Amino acid sequence: MKPTRITFAIVALSASLLAAACSGSTTANNSTSTGNGTGTSAREGGSTDKASHKQGGSLTIANTQGQTWTCQFNPFNPAVNPVSLGFVYEPLVYVNLLQDQKETPMLASSYQWSADKTSIVFTMRQNVKWNDGQPFTADDVAYTFDTMKRVPATDLYSLWTGAGLRSVTAAGDKVTMTFDQAAGPYFFNFANQVGIVPKHIFSTGPAAAHPDTWDDRAPVGTGPYKVDPCSANNIQYVANPDYWQPGKPYLAKIQYPAYLDNGPANLDLGSGKAQWGSQFIPNIKALYLNKSKDNHTWSPPVTNVAIVPNLDPSHAATSKLPVRQAITLALDRQKIALIGEGGQQPVANQTGVVVPTFQKYYDQAAVAAAGYDKPNPDKAKSLMSGLGYSESNPLKLTIITITGYTDWDASLAVVKQQLKPIGIDLTVSDLAQQTFDDRLYNGNFDLAYYGQAGGPTPYYELRQMLYSKNSAPIGKPASFNYERYLNKDVDALFDKYPTADDAGQVDIIKQVGAAMMRDVPIIPTTESVNWFQYNTEDIAGWPTEADPYAQPAAFNVPDVEQVLLHVYSKSAQN
Amino acid sequence: MPYLLRRLGFFLLTLWAALTLNFFIPRFMPGSPLQALRDRTHNKLSPAALEQMLTSYGFKPNENVLVQYVDYLKNMVTGQWGISIGATLGEPVTRIVRQALPWTLGLVGVTTVLAFLLGSLIGTVAGWRRGGRLDSLLPPAFVVTSALPYFWVGLLLILVFSVWTGGVLPSDFNYDSGMQPAFTPAFVFSVASHALLPAATILITSIGGWILTMRNNMITTLAEDYVRMGRAKGLSDRRIMTAYAARNAMLPNLAGFAMSLGFVIAGAILVEYVFNYPGLGYLLYNAVQNTDYPLMQALFMLFTVAVLVAVLVCDIAIAILDPRSRERDRSGR
Repeated sequence: MKPTRITFAIVALSASLLAAACSGSTTANNSTSTGNGTGTSAREGGSTDKASHKQGGSLTIANTQGQTWTCQFNPFNPAVNPVSLGFVYEPLVYVNLLQDQKETPMLASSYQWSADKTSIVFTMRQNVKWNDGQPFTADDVAYTFDTMKRVPATDLYSLWTGAGLRSVTAAGDKVTMTFDQAAGPYFFNFANQVGIVPKHIFSTGPAAAHPDTWDDRAPVGTGPYKVDPCSANNIQYVANPDYWQPGKPYLAKIQYPAYLDNGPANLDLGSGKAQWGSQFIPNIKALYLNKSKDNHTWSPPVTNVAIVPNLDPSHAATSKLPVRQAITLALDRQKIALIGEGGQQPVANQTGVVVPTFQKYYDQAAVAAAGYDKPNPDKAKSLMSGLGYSESNPLKLTIITITGYTDWDASLAVVKQQLKPIGIDLTVSDLAQQTFDDRLYNGNFDLAYYGQAGGPTPYYELRQMLYSKNSAPIGKPASFNYERYLNKDVDALFDKYPTADDAGQVDIIKQVGAAMMRDVPIIPTTESVNWFQYNTEDIAGWPTEADPYAQPAAFNVPDVEQVLLHVYSKSAQN
Repeated sequence: MPYLLRRLGFFLLTLWAALTLNFFIPRFMPGSPLQALRDRTHNKLSPAALEQMLTSYGFKPNENVLVQYVDYLKNMVTGQWGISIGATLGEPVTRIVRQALPWTLGLVGVTTVLAFLLGSLIGTVAGWRRGGRLDSLLPPAFVVTSALPYFWVGLLLILVFSVWTGGVLPSDFNYDSGMQPAFTPAFVFSVASHALLPAATILITSIGGWILTMRNNMITTLAEDYVRMGRAKGLSDRRIMTAYAARNAMLPNLAGFAMSLGFVIAGAILVEYVFNYPGLGYLLYNAVQNTDYPLMQALFMLFTVAVLVAVLVCDIAIAILDPRSRERDRSGR
């Protein structure tokens, strides 16, 4: 998950075995903004399958952290919540973005929206206990959300400020949340991403005084695992015997060693010492898949990696539509994915809708009609010659990218090659992460190579990138709309989305996709994936392409819990 | 005494200057802790909440720089080093340092002492038997190895002893992650085997310097009258080599040794980086990567103080061992 470490000399010495490389293209799920979440969830009971396996066995996760563990587990601390949410703390409802927002009730057994979606009533699950024996109640939920109001640092998804949350009240086994506006798109954040904390712990002592900075070294949660013990080098989780889903989790122990670099993590994955991988493995065939017949990989795409052109008029070349059209037409994305990403990332398309993950929002016919279904270097060439550029008299452009993202460098080398014949001379400028951020946020670039975080539908990523309120004048930091795309019609589409029904939302995304093709505000190249490698020698029950019951990478919260509730040890079944 | 007082004054002045630089230089770096945190959380969390969180951890970018500076000086002196706002967000800096310090002291400290002792021994013997087999073999060989960049040596060792042997010797980390720290033979063995390659790297690249200087000092010392006197008295070769020649030849090296002990605490950043060894050097690398001001400040201060103390001790030792240094001072020059 950690972006990358430059492995300069290692590559020269032993390109095959040690090269860590990697990329920022590891993907984060989910976003700050907004999304869907309609209807009621009726299904009572546990997760998708019944407890049907014997308990026992253990699993080791290899997910590069780049540092040793601090052994803090406060779910409000974003630096440590990937090791506490899903393991120890649980959300109200799990929303799976890989299965069209399929919901699995967790701490809330059901919920009901009001008709205008400005309020929602959750019904709490009965007979759930915190792992210290105290009963879980609706008060705990209300307290969790009230803490976010009281201490804004804990409101990581801006629920009280951005989403318009007005009140959270508990009565009996019901929790009612009211909003200033239709809050459907925020369901993903408040129901799925917020871990519920115990009031009896968080309302006393240092936890109450500073819920944002409290270290929480012995976390008390409702989740399937408990921490026992944690050291700087390894977190060991043991099954919570009183977990509310009887018979689960199946695995008795989970080991989560702190890997400082991709190299050793990938070596352990190849040898089978670790069974659950979540980072880029270069040359995966030789280094992982061929090492054992039990080694598998499946990395589903969730967001785009894109060329971000600066649309501000002060950037004469990139603010011209024909230039951007020429670039997107000239790109042979298959080659970029194959050479730059070693074939481990799928190709993106000009609508910005990630397929196949969000297939139902993708308008294949419209893409074909616009001529964006295949590369068209001839048309690109004529567009550029219309502006007076040719291979002998090229337009000079610089693209900024992040030092150490070696796969992006490789991709950009391919892009450069493909743009040369149409009359664009591309210079790739590698910048240190923070210098890059600075220039990206403030609009100090012609072209930038970047990938955004996404959400359970394409709406989240597209709105981040294209909504005018996410922009800012050149020289001021923009929140997400770095290309500075300002289009009232597209804004209106995004504004309509929260109140639209399911079909309406699909239609809105298709219209946004049409705007993406018309105005080319962003030029997607490849699709960023959830890196996932898994070993089936002893462990079964993994998420697969055929059964994508959760985002598979171990850094996804709270998806990691769904995986933990499904996997079991084959040897423990005898 | 005036000599020592002057050295002490110099010590304090240097310390203040270094602390001041340690405060300002990190703040001139591009980026900010907030930006680093946004990157680490993939820009999916509310920047406002993250900024608030950093503020609760003691990050006050909007406060007057002078006020921050004075607070910083006070905190450095009183040992209130604050809370990490980088990758280890929320962890007290003292705790982080306490965790990493033993590993650096163990690895770099032991190898530095070992390199000095071994180097001096080889240098002594080589100088004693000038032109002998040992002298024509080891010093030239180690002059070459000490010229090699040590991260490169580290990578080479990993390739040969870890990759090619299928992982017989571990190439990263301080001990097997599956273990809990305890004084059991298995754990001690694990620590030792993980330390072997990084220790060898440091040893190979640093021993050459000691050998060469020791050998050359030996040769000059052997020409001294008191050595000839010893021979004339019919003392054994061994006695002359160790008690007469080596003892005096080592004196200039001691100063250098004291200095290198001061640098131990800074760790061998590149070695720790290559071997992912979680010592202070690795910590510094991470702190810089994530613009973790409190951690950076504490580490820089430790490094500075360690070197300054080593220099001070060295000054004192020289004052005691070498009367000439005191004499010169008294004369007022």
